[in-house]
Amino acid sequence: MNHQQKTYEQKAYEKIQKKHEAKRPLLRNCIVAFFVGGLISMIGQGITYFYIYFFNFTEKTASNPTVATMIFLSMLLTGFGVYDRLGQFAGAGSAVPVTGFGNAVISAAIEHRSEGFVLGVGSNMFKLAGSVILFGVFSAFVVALIKTIFTGLGGG
Amino acid sequence: MLAGGQSWIFNRSPIILSTGIVGGPFEREGRIPEEFDYFYDDLWMGEDSYEKAHRKLIEEAVTIALKKGNIQKEVVQFMIGGDLINQITPTNFAARNISIPYLGIFSACSTSMEGLAIAASIINNDGANYIITGAASHNAAAERQYRYPTEYGAQKPPTAQWTVTGAGYAIIGKSNNQSKPRPKITSATIGKVVDMGLTDPFNMGQAMAPAAVDTIIAHFNDLGRDFDYYDLIITGDLGKIGRTTAIELLKEKGIPVAENKFLDCGLIIYREDQPVQAGASGAASSATVIYGHIFNQMKKGVYTKVLSIATGALLSPMTFQQKETIPCIAHAVSIEME
Amino acid sequence: MKIKNISKLSILILTILLVQACSNSDVDKQSLMSLIKTTNPPPISAIKDPKEERIVLDIQEEVLSNEKIYDVAVIKGKTDVLVAYKVKHIHRFRMKQIKGELKKRLEDQFENVQFTLSSDYKIFLEAVKLQKRTEQDNLSEEEFDEQLKDIIQLSKEQT
Repeated sequence: MNHQQKTYEQKAYEKIQKKHEAKRPLLRNCIVAFFVGGLISMIGQGITYFYIYFFNFTEKTASNPTVATMIFLSMLLTGFGVYDRLGQFAGAGSAVPVTGFGNAVISAAIEHRSEGFVLGVGSNMFKLAGSVILFGVFSAFVVALIKTIFTGLGGG
Repeated sequence: MLAGGQSWIFNRSPIILSTGIVGGPFEREGRIPEEFDYFYDDLWMGEDSYEKAHRKLIEEAVTIALKKGNIQKEVVQFMIGGDLINQITPTNFAARNISIPYLGIFSACSTSMEGLAIAASIINNDGANYIITGAASHNAAAERQYRYPTEYGAQKPPTAQWTVTGAGYAIIGKSNNQSKPRPKITSATIGKVVDMGLTDPFNMGQAMAPAAVDTIIAHFNDLGRDFDYYDLIITGDLGKIGRTTAIELLKEKGIPVAENKFLDCGLIIYREDQPVQAGASGAASSATVIYGHIFNQMKKGVYTKVLSIATGALLSPMTFQQKETIPCIAHAVSIEME
Repeated sequence: MKIKNISKLSILILTILLVQACSNSDVDKQSLMSLIKTTNPPPISAIKDPKEERIVLDIQEEVLSNEKIYDVAVIKGKTDVLVAYKVKHIHRFRMKQIKGELKKRLEDQFENVQFTLSSDYKIFLEAVKLQKRTEQDNLSEEEFDEQLKDIIQLSKEQT
């Protein structure tokens, strides 16, 4: 890690730089993310109902095929070059739902196709999503551990 | 001839004989499509990887420059060029096919002016009769190396810039007192690496602005010139935000800036309504605009004295991930009509 | 090129939807709305007997007396009773607790019956379908009990 002290010149420039830097339009991003994320989730809910209604899935069991379908749809949109534009427009709205995870995996896979299947697709597919998986599993482990300790104490 | 601390004056006036400018589909939609010689319809350009497409851009630009100048490849002594991709392989591989003795240079987005300064210096010292020099960049290849996969849906902040897909190459030769007036290269200033401690790779314009200002001031001091000497001072790819920051920095250092004479290539190449956020960037930003748009305007007589400063951010994806700051550089070359 | 791709995609989706829409039967169409709307289907029992029908009505009344629940389907087989209910949206965070309370109250009030409670939409939907079928097809006691057992089985599936 490189945490050098800033020189006087750098500090002076920081002031000028901050003055001119265009900030991300936070409020606009939040609102758009809310609606686009909500829309994607609504489509997901529709697909859940579809599976509940037409197939023998309950609310509990329908989530698996729903996630698979949503990822399939995001794969199509990523392949057709639509999802990255949606991402620029919606930000977190398209990144947070499971479709964003699908997009991260699939875009990396498409990108590294030119290096072949083993060295390219295989080893680079999870270069963006890998940390999501790792820290997702790890934090689930930590939370489960805490819960086990507390319920164990409470029960004993 | 050395002038001041870091500048050269070319008293034998090497001239720009001809240029070759190629672009991609996004540049065709831009503000100055008529300044390009050739456009590719998609980013693949008939190749199976973006890196190969990148190489093709360079080959095509060199071929066009040779053809337009009516110069045989065999009489060109050297090719000087570079790009942004790892180990500048696209330019290296293009040079393999072009087979002109080759100097590969890397100076990020300031490669174009570094190449032009070196070429002018060699020619001024009788090291060659003809040199072809330029720079190229490819949007998808650069995005993939420096940022995320092209199809990844990440939101870019308003300070982000769009890497130009294109290549600009120019043939530099000796002044031979032809009847037709041509743009000649009169001086060059080699910049220092300047690091103002910025770390955001989505805000290159502001990281590079101090480097541009440093080089402009050095140029003025070395040659005793100021804003009034030039019709146009044009930076490579500072973008909207970098440009306003540079203007403020110049004013702070006590240099009066004529804002209408201080333009940026990154703001010329695309239209306002194209989704490029703060403007264009990439090695091809300065190469295509200066060798295309500015070169043509000079021949038409719109500008007679131009100082072009190409700015480069010398980072790699690894240094950014290791939380290093972004060191930047700028090289200036003055081009004047005979 | 992109426009072509998008139109291809929409044709694909339309085809899927059409194929699905055509396979609907009458019972399905009638029960579809029960997913979104309050239905409160009449409670039914396998044994057509005033005493049994009294019990299912009582169960329905008891469940609906809980203000957090707005829709319920009660189906009674020989010994099993299926209670499929919908919880008001605002109370859905406490669904587990509601289920526990409800089960306790029902078991205290009605003896000799095996309750299966479910707040799952799918179970509710199947309950409505079974109720519609009994109205239309006159199922025998055995058939009815069989189908009820299937639904109860489904409600116990985990993945």
